[in-house]
Amino acid sequence: MAKLRAFTMPKWGIEMTEGVIAEWMIEEGKPFSKGDLIALIETDKITNEVQAEYDGVFPRLIAATGEAYPVGALIAVVAEPGETPDAAEVDAFVAGFKPADASTASKGSKGATEPAKAAEPAAAQAAAAAAAASASKAISIPADANISPAARAFAEEHGIDISGIAGSGRGGRITYQDVLQASRPAVSVGGGEPIDITPTANRLDNVFASPLARRLAIEHGVDLGGITGTGPRGRICKADVLAKVALVEPETAPVAPTPAFARPAAGTTEIVLMSPMRKAIARSLSLSKSTIPHFYLRSRVRIDAILGLRTQAKAATGEAPSVNDYIVRACALALTKHPDVNIQVHADEIHRFGSADIAVAVATDKGLITPIVHGADTLSVAAISREIKTLAEKAWAGRLQPEEFQGGSFSVSNLGMFGIDQFDAIINPPQGAILAVGAGTRQPIEIGNALAFATIAELSLSCDHRAIDGAVGAAFMRTLKELIEKPALLIG
Amino acid sequence: MATKMIRDVIVETIDAEMGRDPDVIMLGEDIVGGNGSAGGPEAIGGIWSTSTGLWGKYGSDRVIDTPISESAIIGAAAGASLSGKRAIAEIMFADFIGVCLDQIWNQVAKFRYMFGGKSRCPVTIRMIYGAGFNAAAQHSQSIHGMVTAMPGLKVVMPATPADAKGLLTAAIRDDDPVIFLEHKALYATKGEVPDGEYVLPFGHARQVTEGDDITVLATGLMVSFAETAARNLAEEGIGCDVLDLRTTSPLDEEAILDSVERTGRLLIVDESPPRCGLATDLAAIVASKAFASLKAPIEMVTAPHSPIPFARELESAWLPSSDKIEAAALRLMSYRRG
Amino acid sequence: MQLSREALLRAYRQMKTIRAFEDRLHDEIQAGEIAGFTHLYAGQEACAVGVCEHLGSQDYIVSTHRGHGHCIAKGCDVIGMMKEIYGSREGLCKGRGGSMHIADIGVGMLGANGIVGAGAPLAVGAGISAKGNGTVSIAFSGDGACNQGTTFEAMNLAVVLKLPVIFVFENNHYSEHTGVAYAVGAESMAARAAAFGMRAEKADGIDFFAVFEAMRELIDYCKAGNGPAAIELDTERFFGHFEGDPQRYRGPGELDRIRAERDCLKLFRQKVTEAGLLEGKDIDALDEEVMALIDRAVVEAKAAERPGPEHVVEDVYISY
Repeated sequence: MAKLRAFTMPKWGIEMTEGVIAEWMIEEGKPFSKGDLIALIETDKITNEVQAEYDGVFPRLIAATGEAYPVGALIAVVAEPGETPDAAEVDAFVAGFKPADASTASKGSKGATEPAKAAEPAAAQAAAAAAAASASKAISIPADANISPAARAFAEEHGIDISGIAGSGRGGRITYQDVLQASRPAVSVGGGEPIDITPTANRLDNVFASPLARRLAIEHGVDLGGITGTGPRGRICKADVLAKVALVEPETAPVAPTPAFARPAAGTTEIVLMSPMRKAIARSLSLSKSTIPHFYLRSRVRIDAILGLRTQAKAATGEAPSVNDYIVRACALALTKHPDVNIQVHADEIHRFGSADIAVAVATDKGLITPIVHGADTLSVAAISREIKTLAEKAWAGRLQPEEFQGGSFSVSNLGMFGIDQFDAIINPPQGAILAVGAGTRQPIEIGNALAFATIAELSLSCDHRAIDGAVGAAFMRTLKELIEKPALLIG
Repeated sequence: MATKMIRDVIVETIDAEMGRDPDVIMLGEDIVGGNGSAGGPEAIGGIWSTSTGLWGKYGSDRVIDTPISESAIIGAAAGASLSGKRAIAEIMFADFIGVCLDQIWNQVAKFRYMFGGKSRCPVTIRMIYGAGFNAAAQHSQSIHGMVTAMPGLKVVMPATPADAKGLLTAAIRDDDPVIFLEHKALYATKGEVPDGEYVLPFGHARQVTEGDDITVLATGLMVSFAETAARNLAEEGIGCDVLDLRTTSPLDEEAILDSVERTGRLLIVDESPPRCGLATDLAAIVASKAFASLKAPIEMVTAPHSPIPFARELESAWLPSSDKIEAAALRLMSYRRG
Repeated sequence: MQLSREALLRAYRQMKTIRAFEDRLHDEIQAGEIAGFTHLYAGQEACAVGVCEHLGSQDYIVSTHRGHGHCIAKGCDVIGMMKEIYGSREGLCKGRGGSMHIADIGVGMLGANGIVGAGAPLAVGAGISAKGNGTVSIAFSGDGACNQGTTFEAMNLAVVLKLPVIFVFENNHYSEHTGVAYAVGAESMAARAAAFGMRAEKADGIDFFAVFEAMRELIDYCKAGNGPAAIELDTERFFGHFEGDPQRYRGPGELDRIRAERDCLKLFRQKVTEAGLLEGKDIDALDEEVMALIDRAVVEAKAAERPGPEHVVEDVYISY
C-alpha cells in the first residue's frame, strides 16, 4: 500500500483565508525532487512559488488552476517516488481526508501564522530555488517580509540571505544597517593581551583646563593653579595661559619699595641724623667699596626649568618656593664644589668655611639687612624657603639676633622683583663674594639652529680679588649656571 | 585623607556648611525624627542617616522636620531661599517628585528667568533614587532624565565619597537651584576622602579608567558596573575610557567629545528606561557633534521600557549590569566596517 | 483705630491706582495691544490694600495669577509693571515674566504665580525667613486655590512650625468659571483653616476699614509668635476670570449690580466723607492724579525698548 500524503493549501500570513492555483508546475505522475518548483499559488497579496519539501510524485492533482480553495483544503495527493498507487487508493485517501482547522498549519506544508515566519521558509526556499535553478543570482524576498525598502533593495541586489538576520528594528524589522552588516565579513573580538587602564594623573583632574592650555602651561612654566579661566564654566583655555606667559617671574609685577619718609615741603630741606643702622651700613659698605678690589663676573642663566619645578610643586602641595630660594640652594651646592669661593677675608687671613652660610639680602623699611641661612648646603629648597621667610619676618619686625645677620660666607641679593635686569652688588665684608640676581625676562636664544624664547636671568658675581681669582670665580659661575639650568641636581 | 562612606560624607558636609553659613537650613521628613512622639527628637536622624546629629547641633530653627507634604517642603525651601536663606530640602524617595513636581518644575526652575534675573533661589534639593533594594516600582526610580531636561536646574549625581563631598559643598554654595541625586545603593560605598573643605566644579567629569578603544559614559551606580566591565575587557586587550559624568546639567561635553574623538566608539550606561532619557540625549549630542569620529553605531545599555519589578530576579534583569556592558562593548568592537 | 489723613489718602490712592490700572488694561487688551493671558483684579482692591498697608519691604507676600493688585499694593513700580505687561525689556521682569509672573523681590513681593495654589508653600518658606526677621509672610489665595492640596499642605506646615504666615483667602465667588458654592465643600474657608489648627477670621472684603482692622489684629497675633492665621475676605471681581472670558456663569444683571452695590472705592469714599475725615475734592484730586499716572504708564510702556532674540537664554542660571 502506497504511503500517501496530502498537499493542502498553505497559509501565508494571518489574514490569508484562501488561495488560487495559478499554475501547476509538475504534471501528474511526474516525479519531482526536493526543492523543485511544484506550483504557483496566488493570494490577494502575493503569488508565491511553492517548492517541494521532499522527493515525491503527484498521483493526483485535485485543485484546478484558477479556482480558489480555502486554506487547509486538499489540493493534491502526493506519493513517494517510484510508487504508483491505484486510483482506488487515492480515492479512499481523498474521501478520508479531513481538512485541519483553518487557522492551524496543515500537514504537508508549512502554514505560517506570522508574516515573519512566512518569510523564512519562503526566503529559504527562494534561496534554495536560486541554488537549484541556477538561472539567476537574484533572490526574492516575500512582499510581506518584515524588512525596510532600502534593506530589501540592497539584499536583493547583493544576493544576501536575510534568513539569518536578526532585525534590529521595532518588532524585529530588518533594517538597511542589518543587511549591510550581514554583507561584510565578520570581525573576531577579544583574546588580546591584557592592558593597563589605570588613568594617568593629569587627565580630567583637579585643574579644569583644556588639553592645549595644559601643554602651553608646561611649555612656558606657567602655574595653572593661579589662573582664573575664562572658558566655559571657568575652564582655563589657551588665551588665559598665554596672558600669564606675558608676565615675568616673580609672580607679582615689579614693586617699588615705599619710601621710608615723606617728601619735605616744597623748597625746603629736612636734615635728619643717620640712624645707627644707617650709619653701620654706610660705614661697612664704604669700607668695602674702597678697600676691597671688586671684580665682576656676569652670566646669563635660563630659569625655565626652575619655573617648571615651581609649577609642579604648586600643583602637588599648593605652594612653591620662590626662584630665589632655588638660586640660594644652587649657590650652596656650588660653594661646596668650590670651597675657594666659600670664604671670609680677614686682613692676611682667609677663613675657609665647611658649610655654606648664605646671607640673603632683605630690604626693610629701615634699610638693607642680610639675615643668614646657615648650612644652606644641608637644607632642601623648601627648607631654605621657609627659613628665609622666617628670617625676613624677623628682619621686618626688627627682631633678628646678631648671630642671625653677622657672619656668613656668601651673600645673594635679588632685585628681580623690583624690575631690575642686571646689577652689581657690593661685597659684605668679611665675605669673599656676593651674587646679584636680576629679573627673569623672556629673551630670544638659539636652540639648535632655530630661534626660540627662554626665560633668562642675569647674574653678576662680585669677587674680592685679594682672595678669589678670575678663573676661580669663573669656575664657580659655570657650576652655578649648570645647577640653575638643571635644577634636578639641586635635590639631595 | 580618610576612608568614609557616602552617607557619612553627606552628614559631615551638611554639618560643615551649616557651621560655616548661618543661613543654611534643612527641611525634610524625619530628618530629625521623633518629633511629637514618646521617643522624642532624633529618633532617627534621617531615614538614610544623612542628617544624624544635626538637630542636636543646630536646633529646630535650622533643622526642620516636616509632615509628609512634599509640595510644602519644596515650596517652603524655595520661599525661604528667595527671601535670604540657603535651604536644603530632602525628598525621601526621588519617585515622590510626582507629588511636588510643580514646585520644582514651574516654580524653582523658573524664578530667575521669569523674574528678569532679579531673584536668587539658592536651594539644594536632595533626592534619593535608584533600584537594587527590591523596593519596586514606586520607590526605585531614577529621575535624572526628567530634571536634566528642565532649564533652570542643575543636576548632580555623585558616585564616590570624595566626589559627594566636593559636589555637595558646591551645590549648597551654588546660588542656582541644584537637584542633588543620591543613589540609595551607594550610601554604604567607601572611598578615600581628602580632608579639609573643597569644591568640585560642576560640568567636570571624572576619569575612571583610561583606554583607547571605547568611551563609556556612566553616572551613579552605573559607574562601578562600567568600571568592572572595563577591567574585564582590559584582560582581553580592549581599553575603555570610562567617564563618570558627575553632573548631567551642566554636562562635561568637552570630555565626552574629546574621548569619542580618540576612541570612535561610544557606550552609554543608564539606569533608566530607554525612551527620552540621558542615554538618548548623550547619544544625540555625540552623533551630531562627533559623527565623523564614530567607527560604530552608539550602544546604549539601559533598563527596559517597563516599571521596576519587585522579585529579585526581575529587578536584577531590569537593571543594567557589567555583563550587559561587556556584551555591548563586544558588539561595538565587532562592528563590521566597510 | 483712627487712620491719619495721610494714611487715608494713601490707602485710597493705592486702591484707585489698582482700579485705574486694571480698567485701562481691560481697554488695551480689547484693543489687541497685549499678548497672553491677563487676569484683572478690579473690584478686590480693598483686600490687597487693606492687607499691604500694614507691611514693609521686609514683610513678604506671594500672589496669585490675579496679581496686579497685590504688586501695586506692595509697592512695585507701576510704570515698570505696565512695561512688563507690554512685554518690554524695561519691564520689572525684563519682558520675560509677563502679567502672571510679575515680581519684585526687593520690596518683598515674591511673585505672581501662574499655578493655582503654588504660592502658599512659598509663603510658608518666606515665613521661615520672616520669623527670623520679626516680620510676617502673607499668602494670597482665591476661592480656587483654597481647594488645592498645596494650600492644605502649606497651612498644616505653617501650624506645625508655628510660622508668622497669614493665609488671606479672597473669596470672589468664582474659581475660574465655577461658583464657590459648588467648589468649596466646607462651611467656609475660614472654618476649614481653623480646622487646620490656626486662628481664622472673616471680614467684608469690600470695606477697606474692615479688612485693615482685621489684619492689624492678625499681624500682631502672628508677630507675637502665636503661629499662623487665616482670613476669608468676601469680595467681588468686576471682570472675567481672564480677559476674553464671556462670563456666562454670571446671573442676569449681576455685573451691573456688583459694580453699583459692591464697589470698595465707592464705599471708602462714602465712609470717609460722611465721617468728615476727607472731602470729596481730596478724593477727586487723587483720581485725577492716578489717571494721569496710568496714562503716562501706558504711553511709556508702548514706547519702551523691546527685547531681542539675544535675550532669550539670559538669566536661566546665575552661572553655568
